[in-house]
Amino acid sequence: MERFIADLVQGLDGGKIDRREFCKSVALAAAVYGAGDAAQAQVQRGFKIIGINHMSYTCPDYAKARDWYAAALNMKTEAARDDGKRANLMFGPEPGKGGSFLVMRNPGNVASGSAGAKRGAEAVIDHVCYTIPNWNEARVRATLKAKGLDVTGRDGSLHVYDPFDYDVQIASAAEENAFRR
Amino acid sequence: MEGFVAKHVHDYQNGKISRRRLIEILTLAATTAYAGKSAGAAEQSGLDAALVNHVSYTCPDFRRAADWYSMVFNLDQIGATARDVALPFGKKGEKPYGVSADDVPLTHIICRTRPADGPAGSGTPRRKANAVIDHIAFTVADFDRERAKAQLAAVGVKNVHDGGPFSVYVNDPFGYEVQIAGLGVTAICGAEARATCSDNR
Repeated sequence: MERFIADLVQGLDGGKIDRREFCKSVALAAAVYGAGDAAQAQVQRGFKIIGINHMSYTCPDYAKARDWYAAALNMKTEAARDDGKRANLMFGPEPGKGGSFLVMRNPGNVASGSAGAKRGAEAVIDHVCYTIPNWNEARVRATLKAKGLDVTGRDGSLHVYDPFDYDVQIASAAEENAFRR
Repeated sequence: MEGFVAKHVHDYQNGKISRRRLIEILTLAATTAYAGKSAGAAEQSGLDAALVNHVSYTCPDFRRAADWYSMVFNLDQIGATARDVALPFGKKGEKPYGVSADDVPLTHIICRTRPADGPAGSGTPRRKANAVIDHIAFTVADFDRERAKAQLAAVGVKNVHDGGPFSVYVNDPFGYEVQIAGLGVTAICGAEARATCSDNR
């Protein structure tokens, strides 16, 4: 990176690039660096996965689901994308920087290009587990209890049902980690 | 970022900082600007979901599913048992993209074969949900729609179709719908918007 920037400075000094182009080049280099050396993705077998972008959740009443996830898991509603039939709920890092979101939909609301909720798939995502940082067992259980939720599971890895009986797991890094199975 | 760079270039061109100092500042900024926020920086009153820990994917043949997701997304398979296997989004010791906290592990998929009402946390049969996650979208690095379609075709994935300018949809071997998108698809922009839509709002 340092060599790359040094070359850009040389180009700026030598008049080969103007100041605007210099600024854009450095900003672009930073973005590419942040994307995990994205250029390498082109030559790898398969894609270089960064994370879960979003999950599309279809239920009888999107507003009820929206409010539940916002209250239980501190997800943030993106008001501009709430059209009375669907809403986006953000969590994690900032949008565009690794953040994820849940799309809450009423039946019949389908994303462009998607087949939507359909019969025929032989697979199902039967639950989703969310990581809660700074895990404190007593605080987590008390928070869930205060919201009237029945909590099952073991310390550090708990299950509750959302308003549509979808299984939601919440866990600490210590108890749910792919490398400690 | 551009404003930050412009300020320091201005200082450099006006003799306020040396060329060596300019390079140091920009190198540091470029390598830390996208490190992301600390997940624990602003703990809130409720439970703060920092990231998806895992999704539990249940199908008739978890090995077949795992092989497909490994092939398409270049994922390792970890801790296989007779009924499941985990596919983390990275290598051991790596942090999730955009996360600096130490207690937020890599997201992973658990591919499973078990009854749909297999036990949840209580050991009793899982309730029948009146909701469904009808598709899941994965963010991949350096997404380009046409190149993605070519990559998928090269590994034998069929039935690929566009999901706006910045994503594609495919069906996995069990008919489950998977969307593949770039970082530009966000809760604010959506797949139909320009990748730089934040500049337009």
